Amino acid sequence: MTPGIYGVLFIVFAPLFGGLVAGLDRIITARMQSRVGPPLLQPFYDAGKLMQKDSRQINPVQEPLLLAHVLMMAATGGLLLGGTDIIFVTFMFALAALLLVLAAGSANSPYSFIGAERELIVLLASEPFFILMMAAICKVTSFSTFETVLGSNQMVALQLPGVAVAFLVVATIKLRKSPFDISMSHHPHQELVRGLTTDLSGRLLAYVEIAHWYEAALLAAFTVLLFNWNLALGLAVFAIAYLFEILVDNSSSRVRWQAVLYSAWGVTLVLCGGNVLALFMLGR
Amino acid sequence: MSLFSRSPWILHYDGSSCNGCDIEVLACLTPLYDVERFGVINTGNPKHADILLVTGSVNERNIEIIGNLYRQMADPKVVVAVGACACSGGIFARAYNIQGGIDKVIPVDVYVPGCAARPESIIDGVVQGIAVLEEKRKKIA
Amino acid sequence: MNLAAIYATLLVFPVLVGIVAFLIDGTSLRNHLVIGGSVVVGALAIATALAFGGSSSVFFGLPGGISLGESLIVVEIGLTVFTIAISLWNRRFLAPILAIAQLAISLYLELSGRMPEVDPQELFWFDGLSLVMLLIVGIIGPLICINAIGYMRAYHRASPQLKGRRNVFFGLLFIFLAGMFGLVASNYLPLMLVFWEVTTICSFLLIGYSRTDETIGYAFRALNMNLFGGVAFSAAIALLAGQPDGLDLAKLTSGPAGAALLPAIALLALAGIVKSAQMPFSSWLLGAMYAPSPTSALLHSSTMVKAGVFLLLRLSPAMAGSTVGYLVAFIGLLTFLFVSLVAGTESNTKKVLAYSTIGSLGLIGGCAGIGTPELVWAGVMIIIFHALAKSLLFLAVGTIENRLYTKNMENFDGLLSLMPRVSTVVLVGIAGMFIAPFGLVIAKWTAIRAFLQVPGAPGAFMVLILAFGSSLTIFYWGKLLIKILAGRRETDYERSIERRVSRYEWITEGTLAVGVLAATALVGPLSDNVVGPWALGALSATPRVFLAIDPAMLLLMLSAVFFLPALAAWSWRHPQYDLADFYASGRSATPGHVMGAALGGIHRVTLRNYYLEGVLNGSFVFNAGTVACGGLLAAMVVVGMVVR
Repeated sequence: MTPGIYGVLFIVFAPLFGGLVAGLDRIITARMQSRVGPPLLQPFYDAGKLMQKDSRQINPVQEPLLLAHVLMMAATGGLLLGGTDIIFVTFMFALAALLLVLAAGSANSPYSFIGAERELIVLLASEPFFILMMAAICKVTSFSTFETVLGSNQMVALQLPGVAVAFLVVATIKLRKSPFDISMSHHPHQELVRGLTTDLSGRLLAYVEIAHWYEAALLAAFTVLLFNWNLALGLAVFAIAYLFEILVDNSSSRVRWQAVLYSAWGVTLVLCGGNVLALFMLGR
Repeated sequence: MSLFSRSPWILHYDGSSCNGCDIEVLACLTPLYDVERFGVINTGNPKHADILLVTGSVNERNIEIIGNLYRQMADPKVVVAVGACACSGGIFARAYNIQGGIDKVIPVDVYVPGCAARPESIIDGVVQGIAVLEEKRKKIA
Repeated sequence: MNLAAIYATLLVFPVLVGIVAFLIDGTSLRNHLVIGGSVVVGALAIATALAFGGSSSVFFGLPGGISLGESLIVVEIGLTVFTIAISLWNRRFLAPILAIAQLAISLYLELSGRMPEVDPQELFWFDGLSLVMLLIVGIIGPLICINAIGYMRAYHRASPQLKGRRNVFFGLLFIFLAGMFGLVASNYLPLMLVFWEVTTICSFLLIGYSRTDETIGYAFRALNMNLFGGVAFSAAIALLAGQPDGLDLAKLTSGPAGAALLPAIALLALAGIVKSAQMPFSSWLLGAMYAPSPTSALLHSSTMVKAGVFLLLRLSPAMAGSTVGYLVAFIGLLTFLFVSLVAGTESNTKKVLAYSTIGSLGLIGGCAGIGTPELVWAGVMIIIFHALAKSLLFLAVGTIENRLYTKNMENFDGLLSLMPRVSTVVLVGIAGMFIAPFGLVIAKWTAIRAFLQVPGAPGAFMVLILAFGSSLTIFYWGKLLIKILAGRRETDYERSIERRVSRYEWITEGTLAVGVLAATALVGPLSDNVVGPWALGALSATPRVFLAIDPAMLLLMLSAVFFLPALAAWSWRHPQYDLADFYASGRSATPGHVMGAALGGIHRVTLRNYYLEGVLNGSFVFNAGTVACGGLLAAMVVVGMVVR
């Protein structure tokens, strides 16, 4: 099968994957809190319901921007699996995230705006890591597409342990898990109300949810790139890491945005950067 | 069951209540009752919510607030008045600052009596609210 | 068509236009001259490009085989006398000293007979890089001159206390264009130096246009730094005069420089670094932001500062792989990193544009210092896309500034409603700067992949710098984008502001916006037919694919290219901010950001971007960068001089 097919498959099935992950997330979170939790397919019910609600927005550019956000997230994953250079994919990923920032910020309302600013900080905090991670993977395997990295005989995570650990921290930020859920969160009663999504309703909110599912699938794909021995191993690591994220989410409280920036950059510089430096100096 | 019945999101607003009913509402979220089993999420945001759960009654300060919250909710929406104060003002009905129950400001779909209303009643009220929500959705569609 | 003849016309014509513009006092007549002159200059530039055709490298002299004779030294004396006079008149003493130092070196070489014979047929060198630079200067330059007609009218209306000297302004713009045309095709180094200094003086005079104390101060800062660069250039010439073919740029840079040539290469690199405002010389460019916007657009983003990195790219084959080259690269990359950090703390839009310019120039310097084919390819691509997008942004911000009377991006709230058409071109410009798949991102992507091939610790640091620097650019551009797209309910008066924008500004900014979009759409052919072959030729490298774009990427690129402008254009027809009110905890709120408060009061809501307060102190970071790069620069010169 040509890589392009994988790209299309991603675009079609990633929301399913992401939705199921979200559903499992809520069930496991509930069990951790001695509750039963919603049905597994609850995120799909939520999104479906939202599609039927009245969608009001404050600024007419919000809907096109949100649509672009979802499409861009989908396209990023599609391109990644379809054989595009993985470093280029991180730029697309950043653009997709930026579109959400613009959609929320353009509402020019207090909670959305601050949510957008904080999401921009999240982007600033996480982007250096993703660029470095992909660059390091290219360096280790001398390949630069998803399929070729998977097929490489270099086990990326073994040579990039610092990157793998840093990924765990940055993934917490990207998955919007406490303590780094500064811009929006799925928990009720936030200091920013709903942050980014405060002034969205109806299908607009559904777009954000669906984009988040794509994002989860993308992060799973990134994990597979790191643990590139085979697809199953990568996904298994993603599952374990996600469990860890849920645990951290439930047991920590939110930090200030400055702490997010320091943590992410600190980890990127020291763990990831140090790893990359060692890689270069060992003459790979 | 339609999607609305599977995913009813609530917004809880506390008027001038003694907080008794509020605590009972929050109790519904705890492991003992766990309404998240039914897909209920307590959002803090009217734009995300389907059901407006109001406890406490209306006074001069919160007429505007309740009206705004109701207006900002996206259609279809229902209002559930929880507790005696929300239904009619309760024992405070003739206090100088109390205007009365919630229905003085916004249309109420379900009344849940009690002082304080018990979690079982509240859940029952929400379920009836969901049924009303369904009807409204059919009318819109 | 004879390339030499057309090129000579291209050199002389703008000077004549400039002199005549200077002499004309009547605005209307002068405007016609400017428009006509600009059109002809543009046509001449395109004609020169066509005359060059598909050749790879052409050498020529003045038409008719005239030799330079003593003309260079005469011009230099003239420039020096002018510099001394104007500096003394303003009671500044550093500039005359630097100018005299430069002249002294040249005179010494002339009079002592150490200046070698120059082949009159190899005075000028035209290749793919000169073609790119020539077209940038020749197309963007005239557009900016035309824009300046509208801009200066609004500028003087906004600041009636300033004495109008528009004849000087336009005269200088055209003379500057001639200087740039000469610079990009010079092969004989002393000839290039003359053009170099012409641009320095034009820049100085244009920065000081408004003649306030503040701008005069900044003008002299620019003059002093650039004269210092000129002294370095002269010193390099002095060192090269004794070498065989030392003053022939093409021969000098045909391959890695031998030990004898390295000191001069280092000094030339220094001159390039000063001209392109890389650290530690960045403060002159920031001061230059006080000049009228067309100056910033023309000199200080798309052309003059590009001359600096143009020189670095020319030197690239000579310094690649040497310690000097590595140091030049790190000076550039550290500049990129530091100014990107500072830009995140800045709310003055023009300063943000300036920092972004310095950063992009630093990135090009980083590419030139390492000098692999992919990197010099990326460097030229950055030049092209940055010149287009940044000149557009400066012109557009100038248009905005003249009507909103503010440069602070916090006041650009809801620009999309306030000035929808101008916002559209601004969005194109910003997108062109940092959004994939516009050209700059393609170049950065290629640069990262190329830096991965640099061995050892330097390679790691380069990749690290690029990762952090790129993320920072997203941060500061993102803030500006939010402000522009933010919703606002404008009054009728506010809606009328845009009608007062002049047609000169519309035409030129619109053309540049189309240029940005076209360049992105045509990045493939641009790479295959112009930049790629040049990079291969300059470094005598094996053919390779520079730009690997598959059909899916291409489709994505084209849709992304048109998305933001389409969004902006669509929003012209939809009333902004009319649809719903925002959530304010149930309080009544209006989109004008007045909220009800407790006990019947009201709150005014102000929404402000994050400027990383408490995390970064802008001036501290800037100074740290200056010191760090200053150290590296000193090391570069020492290494060039001493280490063999």
